[in-house]
Amino acid sequence: MKPAVDPLAQLTEIRSIMERSSRFISLSGLSGIGAGVVALAGAAFGHWYLTSHYGEGGFVRLMEGSTEARASTLPFLLGLAVGTVLLAFAVAFWFTRRRALQDGRTLWDGAARRLFWSLAVPLVVGGLFCIQLYVRGAAGLVVPAMLVFYGMALLNASKYTLDEIKLLAYTMLLLGLVASLLPNYAFLFFALGFGLGHIGYGLLMYNRYERAPRS
Amino acid sequence: MKHAIHQLNKAFDHRVRLGVMAVLMANDGVSFNDLKETLDLTDGNLASHVAALEKVGYVQVNKQFVGKKPNTTYTASAEGKQAFQDHLSTLEKLLRQDG
Repeated sequence: MKPAVDPLAQLTEIRSIMERSSRFISLSGLSGIGAGVVALAGAAFGHWYLTSHYGEGGFVRLMEGSTEARASTLPFLLGLAVGTVLLAFAVAFWFTRRRALQDGRTLWDGAARRLFWSLAVPLVVGGLFCIQLYVRGAAGLVVPAMLVFYGMALLNASKYTLDEIKLLAYTMLLLGLVASLLPNYAFLFFALGFGLGHIGYGLLMYNRYERAPRS
Repeated sequence: MKHAIHQLNKAFDHRVRLGVMAVLMANDGVSFNDLKETLDLTDGNLASHVAALEKVGYVQVNKQFVGKKPNTTYTASAEGKQAFQDHLSTLEKLLRQDG
């Protein structure tokens, strides 16, 4: 007699429940692409503004300039940073929400909460730390510190979402360390990490999990 | 030899109980509502199955108050985790026997 238990189906279901309950899997690749585009736009705008105020190599001049010059530019840079982060987050949230709705999953569950807090704590600490670096005259270390803190935040969050995010984390950490050796190219590294890094990760995730399989 | 099916734990012979244990294996301290949403169940259905698991000592219930609101979370006991692992091994054994 064939037993009335399908062990394979049970094992598959258990695996899926364990995965679904502990990891946030609705994060859309399009979120990464969107956030990357926003970061590129933010970097381009910041570069243009500093060049128009301080001439060619605006950021380098600002870094090496007086405390007063840095203090007077702080509101702009802070506004730009907060604006870019908020816009990138909004875009990322929108695409991820759309995906969760399409797949009929709850967006804000226990896994999403853990993912959010594991990202938020290092990011807020990193943000405050970067302001101090800038105010105290180590402006050249701001972008490397941003990349390093963000990489650490992603690594911390990787426990609660799909493993590919570790790739993005290591990319950020590596870029952050290299950027700390080349402070004059801060804008380039910002664009590489937050812009192209996110876009690359987004494309990878989109191709792997979301693109409709070709029939 | 006795077929491995007879070694399957009776406490896990229902999908919902298996689901609850699966969630609690992967997460510590899950609230009733999170459990309900993850497994897509009704209050009554979940409550009765959790009670059954609690009775055999596989699930620990922690009642706390957040302000005035009661907040109940569930954790798998060491015994429950062991029983679940054994259940998984038995399922794998079944696969080998049949395959």
